[in-house]
This record gives sequence, structure tokens and C-alpha cells, in this order.
Amino acid sequence: MVAPLYTTDSGLLFHAGKILVLTVGLPARGKTHVSRALERYLRWTGVKIMVVSLGDYRRKILGSAGKLPSDYFTLGAKSEVSIALRKQVADACEDSIQKFFDGGGQVVIYDANNGVKANRTRLAEKFHELDIHVVFLESWCDNQEIIERNIRSVKISSPDYRGWDPDKAVEDYYSRIRDHEQYYQPLEETTWPSIRIINVGEQVITNKIAGYLQSRIVFFLMNIHNRFRNIYFARSGQSLIEHSYRADSDLSPSGWAYAEKLKDFVIQKYTKSLSERGIDGKSHRLVVWTSARMRCSHTAWPFLTGSTPSQLNVRIIEKQQMSEINPGVWDGLTPEQVKKYYPDEWERFSHDPYAYRAPRAESYHDLCVRLEPILVELEREKEDLLIIGHASVIRCMLAYLIGLPVSEIPAIEVARGDLIEVVPASYGVQTQAYHFWDGDNGDGSGAPGAPHKDESNLYENYAEDAKKPKSPLALHWEPTQIQTLRSEQTLTVHT
Amino acid sequence: MTLETKDDLEKITIALNRAVLDPPIHSPPPAAFGAGGPMLKQFDQSSASSRGGYSTPKSVVGIGGKVAKPDYSEAKIVIAMVGLPARGKSYLSNKLMRYLKWLEYDVKVFNVGQLRRSRARQKAQESGIREDHTASYFSHENVEATKLRDKLAADSLEMLIQWLKDGGNVGILDATNSTQNRRASVEARVTRERGIVVVFIESVCDDPAVIAANVALKVSSGDPDYATTSPELAKLDFLRRIKQYEAIYQTISESHLSYLKIINVGSQVILNRINGYLQSRIAFYLMNLHLKPRSIFFSRHGESQYNVEGKIGGDSALSSRGMKYARALPDLITDNIGNAPLTVWTSTLQRTIQTGQFLPYNKLTWKALDELDAGVCDGMTYEEIEKAYPEDFANRDNDKFNYRYRGGESYRDVVVRLEPVIMELERQDNILIFGHQAILRCLYAYFHNLSQADLPYIKIPLHTVIKLTPKAYGCDEERYALPIGAVDTHRPKPGTLSKDNLIQPSGSSAREYFAGKN
Repeated sequence: MVAPLYTTDSGLLFHAGKILVLTVGLPARGKTHVSRALERYLRWTGVKIMVVSLGDYRRKILGSAGKLPSDYFTLGAKSEVSIALRKQVADACEDSIQKFFDGGGQVVIYDANNGVKANRTRLAEKFHELDIHVVFLESWCDNQEIIERNIRSVKISSPDYRGWDPDKAVEDYYSRIRDHEQYYQPLEETTWPSIRIINVGEQVITNKIAGYLQSRIVFFLMNIHNRFRNIYFARSGQSLIEHSYRADSDLSPSGWAYAEKLKDFVIQKYTKSLSERGIDGKSHRLVVWTSARMRCSHTAWPFLTGSTPSQLNVRIIEKQQMSEINPGVWDGLTPEQVKKYYPDEWERFSHDPYAYRAPRAESYHDLCVRLEPILVELEREKEDLLIIGHASVIRCMLAYLIGLPVSEIPAIEVARGDLIEVVPASYGVQTQAYHFWDGDNGDGSGAPGAPHKDESNLYENYAEDAKKPKSPLALHWEPTQIQTLRSEQTLTVHT
Repeated sequence: MTLETKDDLEKITIALNRAVLDPPIHSPPPAAFGAGGPMLKQFDQSSASSRGGYSTPKSVVGIGGKVAKPDYSEAKIVIAMVGLPARGKSYLSNKLMRYLKWLEYDVKVFNVGQLRRSRARQKAQESGIREDHTASYFSHENVEATKLRDKLAADSLEMLIQWLKDGGNVGILDATNSTQNRRASVEARVTRERGIVVVFIESVCDDPAVIAANVALKVSSGDPDYATTSPELAKLDFLRRIKQYEAIYQTISESHLSYLKIINVGSQVILNRINGYLQSRIAFYLMNLHLKPRSIFFSRHGESQYNVEGKIGGDSALSSRGMKYARALPDLITDNIGNAPLTVWTSTLQRTIQTGQFLPYNKLTWKALDELDAGVCDGMTYEEIEKAYPEDFANRDNDKFNYRYRGGESYRDVVVRLEPVIMELERQDNILIFGHQAILRCLYAYFHNLSQADLPYIKIPLHTVIKLTPKAYGCDEERYALPIGAVDTHRPKPGTLSKDNLIQPSGSSAREYFAGKN
């Protein structure tokens, strides 16, 4: 459970102190995938975190593999030049880690092979003296299929192999791995806290894991997987009373038309995706999550009663925790009315829309805390997923998946009539929005027309109402772009 | 059809505008769709069928409705415990059962030892032969007895599987399952059934202090095997029994099985092939348990203004009597735990924050501890609600656990949102929680293993501090009622006398052996 929003004098949260996670593993074992997923999750909980990737530093300082002496990557005896170069890169990494901790950071994930026991023990002891908790995270794999898949999907598209023939690149990478294998010592020491993940989650072994953050890390690692699946987001249809939380009203006629359109569009996309992946519909299913609010669960109604192709399985699950953000005493008021009756509160809200909690209401931070179990369930879901939710909820979930800083959440635009598709890729996610509904002309009849924005809904219009200047480093996300998190971005944002 | 809806919508919009503009400029408008006003009824009657022609699902009308229990029929799991005697297997099964029952899974523990005792009792009654269940019975060399014990284990598993097929969710097989052969036969039996999976949970312990404490608990707690022997002899016999098991014990390491191995109360944990939603929740729960002695204090906020007026919900301040309670608390707490550290949790509503303000400890506020959201009924008294919606009101009183207020929550929703709090509670040391009536009822029911039907009617009076000390098989409870008067907000289940209906936990925190029953 994420603790409430509070800051401590030291800037560290959860009484957890400073933590250094050292990844251990041969190349192509999924260390980077796990580090990135963990980083996204911990940043979500508010922890100041940075990933230092030895490979990226090497590329930054020394350039791509073509420019290096030929024995740079072979372990064992090396030329003087190679040893000096390697030391230069390693020192740069360690300095950057130390600077981050001194600057108030809480968690660093050091993404490197760390295969030699003496080296990693030296690292662990060095940081342990500085009062930093060290945890080893080993990713071990003896399933050849998984390794080959990792190499093909990730490694040969890296800058090291630009311009190579793919099969030759795979061969070269295998020889790199073989060299490492000779000197690799699997993590067997029990003196240090450690987590060993075997075959991407088939087995997880923990040793001496104590402390709140460490146990959250283990819980998260138990739940992630790297199987391919699509996640779709759609808003619930228009309801009879758009701006009252308490009335919990049903869909309007235009909302019902929207629900039908949504079902047709989603089924069409899902079948297309299944055939692209070469999967038979019977062995998989489409899971639909809705909240327990009337308009939301009724938007999923056509999936139950409408005509779906008989060979598709659809399962609908209602989750009460996905209800929209509670507006408290502001329920039913337009932004003008709020400014009139609650001027002080409105002032504070416009300065910090993410963390401010109106009387009896929830802040976006409370909503994120409430959604955390849902996000973990999202991570573990292996089937394709359609989430029919409310705008506030979709904002939080998108921010988590894309890795946006939480202060951006209230300004994310989620238009009704867009189906947002999120596809996990190797080091991040790809998002795309498909427009399938043009809205109605607002007369309640359900006839199509120009998109109809609800002027009186407070949260609907926040994005236009009080735009804050965005910081230059913030990731700006627009729904129609394809956004991929590149590994270099994290380095620049946090130094 | 469409025209009528349009007309109604227009009427409502006009009424809404009028209602909002009339009150004086700087006092906020009343909640437009609260159950106290006429808007809600008007809205319900006008939107009777918003979807012309198609079949519609049922909408919520009035102040709420009953919501069905979530469908758990897909979850069918056999949990087989593994481990030497005195390693805490029954303790873990018991805790797990309490947790899953609180989440409304259907759970049952099948203890092979109990089956052994009841069969022996039956045999003694029928044929007069008393079987000897001392240590030699458990020796591997005693071929007769080993065959009997194998049959007992197989029969327990049969009963478990039958129970799962009849609609259970999680069956816990509490036995030692200490050899690879035994585990292989369990796995083979379960794989024959479609839709049922087996997870092994092993507890390994080589810390002599922990083992000694477990042995002492076993021989002194009324274990029927040792009912007629003295404690010293019982201890000797039990240690001999453990030795018999140690001779053939094989710790679990079969990599194709799904298992969770807990070593030395969580210092090391191995998870192998834990797939599935419920399995991973079980694994995470077990990883968070600890055995350190500590106390949990619960208290409601002091009497609030709304309590005095009889209203529900809201965010009112404390009354003068409530303030007196807040001032008396620091002394009460220090009398109880002295200088030991204590964490204090409150909700975000001001009445709990005010109650805890004089305590010198570290305080954290949790949104999850806020009172049950009464939706459209927020701020009304029970009499007002009854007058406006008499049928709904009676409906709710009869089945509070399942009834969800419109725009609000049911007790089940509160349980779902309290689950992370329970997980955190298991990890904490001494802790004091200032909560609300519905919240504390749910937490109390978790610790005392009360059923969901009883949960909404538990009596948690104002101005009382409840102290729970978790023990091996239950919780010891003490109540400190401060002599400061307060309103009674307890509503008993209709149709029962309030005196007879006090929901109490089963009394002792000792282990239940079901000695006289089958």
C-alpha cells in the first residue's frame, strides 16, 4: 500500500532509507526489462529513483562497439587499453550513483552484468559503508527459447549492431554471451539481501528481504511478465446527469449508442490483432474491466447481450475500486460556481491540482493510492485487456504505463470517442489513439453530430481551464503519437 | 419516447439552475442529488427507461440496492502444507484461512491429525480397541501404522476434493506431506480433476528458540493426543515423534510443482511457479507475517457533533464530550504500553484527527480509513431516511453487508478498500488506529474471524479503546471503556433483541481441537 503524500526532512519515504539494487545476470537475461518495469513502479509510488545502465554509459562515453578494441568484451586477460577503458566507464557509473544519493535520491538500480563475485562484493561493500542498503537482483535463465527471443527482439536493434545482418548479429551476440559464461558466478552468497528470478518469474527466491520498499519490490517482481498483450482504454458513455457523482445515473440514449459502437470497434480490433499474432480465439480471451458505477458497467452491456462472434471469449469484471475521483462538496458544481463559493480552495487547487484535496473529496494522489492494487493486477494480467473507465481513472493508469511524472496527471486529455491502445514494448510502451465516435449533437437523441463537450463537468474541463506551464523536461504526451520510452531519457532527466 | 426524455431533462435542468441560484451568495448550495431533497425522486421517475426498445439492465433507484457477492467460482485451489511437526503449519493455515474468509472466499482446513483422532475414537467406541498414537505410531518402520496413516492422508484429500467440487474455493490440507512420494501422490490425485490446482506451502525452521516455543505451545494447549499425560512426558513423546519424521523428511525441491517455501519465519522465501491471481496474493500475504509480540489498539473518534444530532456521514468536529475523551487518551495509552514506540493511524476526516491530537506519537492519515460513504444519504439522520425511503431503509437494515448506498459504498466495498490496510497491519509493531464504526467493524471481524453476516452488527461503542494481542490461534482482547458519556450509535439487526444479539468472538485464543466432534 502506498503511503499518503507526505514529505520527510531527508526527502526519503517509507522509513526505508537508501537502497541500491544491483542486477546480476548474463547478457540477454531480461535484466533491463525488469529494471525498467521496477523503475516505473517505484517512481509511481513517489520514490526518487534512477536507473544507471552500464551499457548505456559505455555507449555514451566510448561510442558504439565498432570503435572499441577487439578484446573489450572478452573477460579474462585484456590489453592495457581495454582495462583502462572499462575502468573509466565503471568509475563514471559509480560516481553518478554516488552523486544521485548525495543529491537526495532514494533508490538506484545499477543495470550491469555483475557476474564476477569479487567485483559485486566490492561494490556492495563500498556502498554499504555509506549506509546504503544493497540488494542483489539476479535474473537467471536456462530456457533457450527465452534467450533467443530476447536477443532477437532487443539486442540486435541496439546501436551496437547498427547496419549488421540480423543473423550475423545474433551469432556475434551469442559469442559475447559465451565469453561471459566462462567467468560468470551465479548468485549463491547469502550474506547480502538478494532476489533471484529464474526464467522470467517461473521461480523467485528471496533472501533476507526486510523493509517496506524491499518487500514491495518483491511483490511487484512476482507479478510482472513479458508476454505480449494489448491494453485498450475507453471512457464510459454519456450519462443522463453528467456532473453528479452521487446520482450515479444511467446512460443517456447517446451513451447507449456509444456503447454499441465501442463494442463493434473493439471486437474488430481484437480479432485483427489475434489474426496478426496467429492466435486462435478459443485459447485466449478478452477481459473487460469496468467500474461499479452504473454508466460504466452499462457501457459494457453490449458485450454481454450484443452479437459477438461465437469463437471469441469475453469476460467482464466489475471493480468497485475503479470509480471516478470523488469530488466531495464540489459535487454538481460548475467551475464558476466553485470559484464563487470556495475561492480559497479553488486557489489552492489551481496551484497543485495533483495533491490538493477538496473538502470531503479525493485528490488525484488519493485516487492513485486507491488504484494501486488495480495497477498490480494490470501488470499480472496476461490476456488482452479492455478497460472501460472514467476520465480521472484513465489518466492515472496512462500516467503509470507511460511513465509520466505524477504532476502531469490532471492535464492529460482523454477524449470520449477515442480508443487508446497501449502495447508494452521492450523498454517502454507504445501508445496510439483510434477515434471511433464523433459524439452526438447534444440534443439527447443519439443522432451523430459534432463532438459535444460537457461545459459543466469540473474535472472534464480542468485541462483547458487552468493550464500550468509545463517544465521543459516533462514528457509531453499526445494521444495520436506513438511514444516510446528510450533508455537515454532517464539519464538526462535525473542527473 | 425521445421527446418525453428531452422534456424531463429540460425540467430537471431548470429546477437545478433554480435550486442553485436561490440561496444567499456566499453559502454553498446543498447537495443537488441528496436523498433529503426532491430531486432524486424526480430524477428516478423521469428516467424510468432511458434506453428505448432494447433490454436494459437494472438501474439503481432510491437510495441504493443489494449487490451480489463477486463470482469466485473459477478459483479452486488445494493448498498442501509441508513440514516437520512444530514448524507452524497449522498456524499458517489458520492465518491464511482467516484472511481468505475475510475476502469472502470459501475456505476450509482439513487437518489429518483431527481425522486420525476422530477415526480412532470411532474405532474405540465400536470395537473397544484403543490405538496407540504415541511416537512409535509415527515411525516409518511401523508398517501397519504407516499404511493406516497413508490411508488417512488419502481420505482427507478425497474429502477436500469433494468439498471443492461442491462449491468451495480453497481447501487447506494440513499434514506433514514430508516425502516426495506423498507429494507426488497428492499432485497425481489433483491433476485428475479439471480446474483444480495444487500449491505446496512448506515451513522450514532450524531456529531452536522458535521450535522450542512451538513444542511448548503444543503440549500445553490441550492437544487431545496428550490429554491424559503429564506435560513432561508429553514433551518427550512429541520430540520423539518429530525425530521419526526427521528420519524420512525430504524438503520440497521438485521444480515442476508449484510451491512456496518459507524459511525461518520469512528470512528466506522461495516461490516456484506461483501463477494465478489468488496464489500470488496468498504468497504475498504469507511473506508479510511476523511473529514478534505486539499490540493493536482500536478506537473510534470521540463523540462528534453529527453523532449528537443523529446524522450519518459528514465531516463534523468533536463535541465537548468527544474533546474530553481526546484529552484523557494520552494517560490511558502510556499506562498501557509505557515507553514502547507506537504508530498512530487516523482517517482524513477531522473527527479522528482531533481525537488523536494530544498523543505525542508519529501520526499518519489514511484515506482508506475514512468512514463508509453513505452516498446520497450523507448528512441525513436515520429517521429522515426512513421517512423518505421506507422500503429501501428496511432492505438495508436486513442485509447491511451487501447493501450499497447509491453513489456510495457497501460493507463489502469497505472490506475491499481495507485490504491493503490489513496487509500493512500484519507488518507493523505496536499500533493505534483511530477509525469509524464501519471501518473498525471490518478490522475487528478480521482479527476475530467473525463471519460476514455478523460483521455489520458488531458493537463498537464510542469512547472505548479495544486492545488486541495476536496469539497463535486467535487474539486476546481487552476493552478500556472511559467513563465519559456518549451517544449509542449501534443499530442491531431488526427482529432480534439487542441484548441477545451482541456479537462476541468465540472467547479464547486457544487452538480449537474439536475434541468431542467428528
